[in-house]
Amino acid sequence: MTVTAFPPPPPGSDHDGLRQEVRAFLAEELAGFPPEKRAESWNGFSRDFSRKLAQRGWVGMTFPKEYGGHERSALERYVVSEELLAAGAPVISHWIADRQSGPLILAKGTEEQKRRIVPRIAAGELCFCIGMSEPDSGSDLAATRTVATEVEGGFRVNGTKVWTTYAHVADYMILFCRTGKSDDRHGGMSQFLVDLKGTGNISISPIIDLLGEHHFNQVTFDNTFLPTEALLGQKGEGWSQVMSELAFERSGPERFLSSFALIEELIRLLREGATEAQEAEIGRLSAHLMVLRQMSRSVAGMLNEGKNPSLQAAIVKDLGALFEQDVPRLARSLLSRPAVPGGRDSYAAVLAYTELAVPSFSLRGGTREILRGIIARGLGLR
Amino acid sequence: MESMIFDMAERLLRDHVSHALREDAAAGNCPEALWARIEEAGLHLAMAPEEAGGFGVPAAEALGLVRIAGAHGVPLPLAETLIANALLAQAGLALPGGRLTIAEGEALRLDRRGAGVHASGTLTMVPFARWADRIVTLASLDGASQVLSLPVKGLTLTPAQDLAGMPRDDAAVDLDLGAAEIAPLDMPAGTMRALGALVRSLAMAGALETILDLSVQYANDRVQFGRPIGKFQAIQQYLATMAGETAASRVAAEMAAASHGTPSFALAVAAAKSRTGEAAQTVGALAHQIHGAIGYTQEYALHHFTKRVWSWRDEFGTERDWTRDLGRAALSSPQATFWHFITDSTARGATA
Repeated sequence: MTVTAFPPPPPGSDHDGLRQEVRAFLAEELAGFPPEKRAESWNGFSRDFSRKLAQRGWVGMTFPKEYGGHERSALERYVVSEELLAAGAPVISHWIADRQSGPLILAKGTEEQKRRIVPRIAAGELCFCIGMSEPDSGSDLAATRTVATEVEGGFRVNGTKVWTTYAHVADYMILFCRTGKSDDRHGGMSQFLVDLKGTGNISISPIIDLLGEHHFNQVTFDNTFLPTEALLGQKGEGWSQVMSELAFERSGPERFLSSFALIEELIRLLREGATEAQEAEIGRLSAHLMVLRQMSRSVAGMLNEGKNPSLQAAIVKDLGALFEQDVPRLARSLLSRPAVPGGRDSYAAVLAYTELAVPSFSLRGGTREILRGIIARGLGLR
Repeated sequence: MESMIFDMAERLLRDHVSHALREDAAAGNCPEALWARIEEAGLHLAMAPEEAGGFGVPAAEALGLVRIAGAHGVPLPLAETLIANALLAQAGLALPGGRLTIAEGEALRLDRRGAGVHASGTLTMVPFARWADRIVTLASLDGASQVLSLPVKGLTLTPAQDLAGMPRDDAAVDLDLGAAEIAPLDMPAGTMRALGALVRSLAMAGALETILDLSVQYANDRVQFGRPIGKFQAIQQYLATMAGETAASRVAAEMAAASHGTPSFALAVAAAKSRTGEAAQTVGALAHQIHGAIGYTQEYALHHFTKRVWSWRDEFGTERDWTRDLGRAALSSPQATFWHFITDSTARGATA
């Protein structure tokens, strides 16, 4: 059963020395950073923090030195990622670029694109967003309507992208759109590297989420001109390029640590005294976390060997979302303390934020139903 | 070497452990011929060191045999014999041969009588006791932990069975131990329970893979409303859920096996036993839902595996026991944060 096979992470992948360095850095940089800010997890934005992290060599860790990277393993990058998430560091400014856009450009980009973009990602200077979903294309990515028509010197793009996280501050978008007609639902798609700051005829408007926060945007392309050099990878190969990004996008520790600030708050209070029933619930949570972490590290090991464990990644994300979404329920079942937005104490504030954040965890990056469809196909259902 | 043993075990069990054999064993008949083949192949000695007559396969690897045996629903104390032989060899006792089993020995009392030692007390729900030659356990004498090798012939058994019909007998102990039946071995309290929980976790991981395989096959074969039921999204979602739980179980059990002999063993076993036990609930229930009425019959294979995982989750500590221990360790840990506890308690790259 290949789907359920997760080889153990390679020996020596704990990288204790690196872990201690990262912990020391975070203790200093995040001193006084309040729990309710940590609760934002990887949605927290700070260009300053991302730049400082990059100065330590912890952005673009796996990239070749030639392009500003550090040629470290996926497991070393994993250690840094999980320490950042566990501490609730504000990482989104570099997160998408470091996780998937950089690796995509390195794998599919032209030499010119690699030289121009990748070193700046590794320096923590560039924020990327992903232009994938559309008003009529959510889970059904093949229903994408945004189209890039070939013209003299490049392409004209028309269409609308939605739920584009941090497009209002991002420097670049990886745009997924149609470049041709095809009988094959998955054919005729391409990806573009769009310079959001230097391209005209792109309008970006906010979509406020139920927390009252501005993460999402609607991005409209109105006859937007993109030069030929903006094409990323092969024209018409967009579908398979996107699919190869998914293992990076779906398997990392951000898929089960998004509620971690609440776990720390809960355990801080239970350490003052816990009943046997409370101990058992914390034990169950610990067991799930230890196992998810091992599965996620296993996928990092497979990525390090150049494999494409997209099925295992779908399993990690499905189980991970169940875990992180369950944390507010668990907290409420163990402590009788109401959620208060903004908080009368840090537990109340973190619970309020996390309760309102969790519905998105099984939507973003592939809905639960889509992931399970992928897993079911991987099981060999005919 | 390790993969040779695995291939051999896989072939042997696939060829000789049939539905009929599992039925016959559940009816009370010990599958002697199968045991003879296992002994001939030497599977039961894989974990014991070479100088003691074993194969000296590293524990994490040898324990893989337990998962394979679980996947085939082997109605014999293979896992128990593996662990027992390894413990006897570790204590410097000669390997007695034959079928062995293990039990938690906290209930036993050891007293010095003349030059020898007398053991008394009752061991409960001992796996396959009536089919075993010896019960190996740990008990304490003058505060020092001892490995005991108790001859089943000298004990009084009260037969009982688990949900799958496998022997789980109570054994009343009241006997003088011979020189070859006791030896000191420095082991922390709870070692037998942890070793038992480890092998049950691995066996559950294997059996859950079989349950998933049977369910996928059934969903592909069974036609209703003009198409295989596996074409329905509701069934696909069930199977995907089962795949996630099954994968998590194997990772959990293998993580515990890899931590054998390291300081993180007790916590890794706690995580493994509770995680696989929880998965046994979800996977078993969904497998029966997918199979419909045929899965609820004696003639179809599924019940041998679901009944086994539902039994194994209760043995050597229930989910509740292990989650309480793990939670207590987390809440009382000296580490500054819960996160530090988690990173420290996960096997430190001990992947053999």
